[in-house]
Amino acid sequence: MNVRTPTTVAPGETRARSPLYWRYAVEPFVYLSPAVILITLVMLVPLVVGISYSFQSIAILNPLKTGWVGFDNYAALWSDGKFWTALGNTLWWTVASVTLQFGLGLGLALLLNRHFHFRRIVQALVFLPWAVPTFLSALTWAWLFNPVIGPIPHWLAALGILAEPENILGDPDLAMWGPIAANVWFGIPFFAITLLAALQSIPGDLYEAAEMDGASAWQCFTKITLPFLAPMIAITVMLRTIWIANFADLIFVMTGGGPANATQILSSYVFTTAFRKLDFGYASAIAVALLGLLLVYAAILLKIRQKFVKI
Amino acid sequence: MARMELRNVRKSYGSVEVLRDIDLDIDDGEFIVLVGPSGCGKSTLLRMIAGLEPISGGDFLIDGERMNDVRPRDRDIAMVFQSYALYPHMDVARNMGFSMEIRGAPAEERARRVAEAARTLGLDTLLQRLPKELSGGQRQRVAMGRAIIRDPRAFLFDEPLSNLDAALRVEMRLEIARLHQRLGTTMIYVTHDQVEALTLADRIVVLDGGDIQQVGSPLDLYERPANRFVARFIGSPTMNVVPATGAAGGVRLADGARIALPHLGDAGNAVELGIRPEHIDVVGAGAGDLEATAELVEHLGSDTNVYAQVDGLGPMMVRVHGNIAARAGDRLGLKIQARNAHVFAADGTALRRAERSA
Repeated sequence: MNVRTPTTVAPGETRARSPLYWRYAVEPFVYLSPAVILITLVMLVPLVVGISYSFQSIAILNPLKTGWVGFDNYAALWSDGKFWTALGNTLWWTVASVTLQFGLGLGLALLLNRHFHFRRIVQALVFLPWAVPTFLSALTWAWLFNPVIGPIPHWLAALGILAEPENILGDPDLAMWGPIAANVWFGIPFFAITLLAALQSIPGDLYEAAEMDGASAWQCFTKITLPFLAPMIAITVMLRTIWIANFADLIFVMTGGGPANATQILSSYVFTTAFRKLDFGYASAIAVALLGLLLVYAAILLKIRQKFVKI
Repeated sequence: MARMELRNVRKSYGSVEVLRDIDLDIDDGEFIVLVGPSGCGKSTLLRMIAGLEPISGGDFLIDGERMNDVRPRDRDIAMVFQSYALYPHMDVARNMGFSMEIRGAPAEERARRVAEAARTLGLDTLLQRLPKELSGGQRQRVAMGRAIIRDPRAFLFDEPLSNLDAALRVEMRLEIARLHQRLGTTMIYVTHDQVEALTLADRIVVLDGGDIQQVGSPLDLYERPANRFVARFIGSPTMNVVPATGAAGGVRLADGARIALPHLGDAGNAVELGIRPEHIDVVGAGAGDLEATAELVEHLGSDTNVYAQVDGLGPMMVRVHGNIAARAGDRLGLKIQARNAHVFAADGTALRRAERSA
């Protein structure tokens, strides 16, 4: 009946006739090429260029001294007090932000995982801070911290935490708390939503089995919920740490790294070095140092994950 | 050791009643099987006994103590779940010893009890494995081990074998029977599989539509079903039920045949005659109560199943012990074993049950 089917081809057999070489050695890479080309252009080339910049002197304000300088930038970095201050600030900023975001995000996820009215609406609303443009939230938080127009210094003073309603962002000892507060507000939804998804994937009968076995609510949490969340916790904490360590937007808008470099973190230092001082060589060296530190951190975390996560 | 009493126990979700006035006494050491079609409320009843589902009304007592508001962990009952509900991040040993870990039992006692239970269940070599590295049957054993180790006063099983293949199901069924013999603990077992119910139970509770239809020993239910539902639910292949009219000293079938049944009540009522496939004999055409044409004949070796089309009555299934020479298309006579016949009133209740086997 089907006159168009060549009788030489058995049913189910491919009708395409291609040499083995084409099919197995070349064809797969043709399909992969869009992704490979894109990743190469967008990520690998800039990475190599950036790393090569860190071994050169490229300062727009000093155009005569352009050229390869070996490890000069790194040597300067080693003896640069501002770099070490920024590194310490980066640690403090990242650890405080990630810890608070994670802790509060987990709490929020546990709350959202309970049954209550309008749960879906609340879940959607919780995600809102994530959708606000960073500079808008930074500006808003900067105003909230401003004692002239913002309420926060007055509340803190009323609670006795501050002696008087001063400008927190202007006090070198306290300034970092401003961006951290904004960052926590901004980042809680990410943890809440991802952890909520992980929570919802835990089979309910495990809790029933544990209940029959005599486990209390706290034991259910530590012996079932946490082990189940562990893979998600490991991956989200790693991602967030990397993002937050690189996340200079809030700091740049709220304090600009000041006062007296008290809120300068490595990524904002890279930004000011590159685009204020226009010293691309030195900025690249700082960026490579930050990249190295984050790679070491990720490697350690993945190792820990391998050891503790069994699911 | 546990004696359980359910007094007018009810369960409703909002205005939907799923269980009505459940009255049941379970003796210490008894093996009770709750059986019924899906949606009949059997799992809900089990979960109410476990404490995982609140009881909407009535009283539930264990050893005379009211349990309605007692938390599951304080009821001292172990449960084996249909999904096994093994903790996937814990190895077999920790899964089995979890209840002792929770109670803070010393590690060496825990290890000893786990090893003991593992030996009886044949899990000794698997103690360090994670659940995902086990086969279905092994997971089932671990779930049972987790229950045994607690030495509870009652075991609950929620369709524990439904995820296993047929061969393994038979094996685990025997294992559960052996476990009950060895421990002598009260067990309540939920299943929709009547073979499991008939083979395991001391007493079977047949549930349908939120009501208990009948409680009795497996043979009781087979020989003396209280109504048409139980008659058709218990026994395989299913009982044949055909419309009939009460007549003096028997019933008259729609095709005009008269079946003599002693001790039957009023004549003239519309009733139904129930007869199990194994209680019909195949005789030569013209020699039986009914005339039929064989539509399909299955030779199973030990038995022969005949799907017959009875003249003026419709389809009927006949099961004959051994092999007979019948083939599809043959004309047959069917003889109904009157002493094994059931008669049901229009509302389904049994008017006459099979005579007690001696």
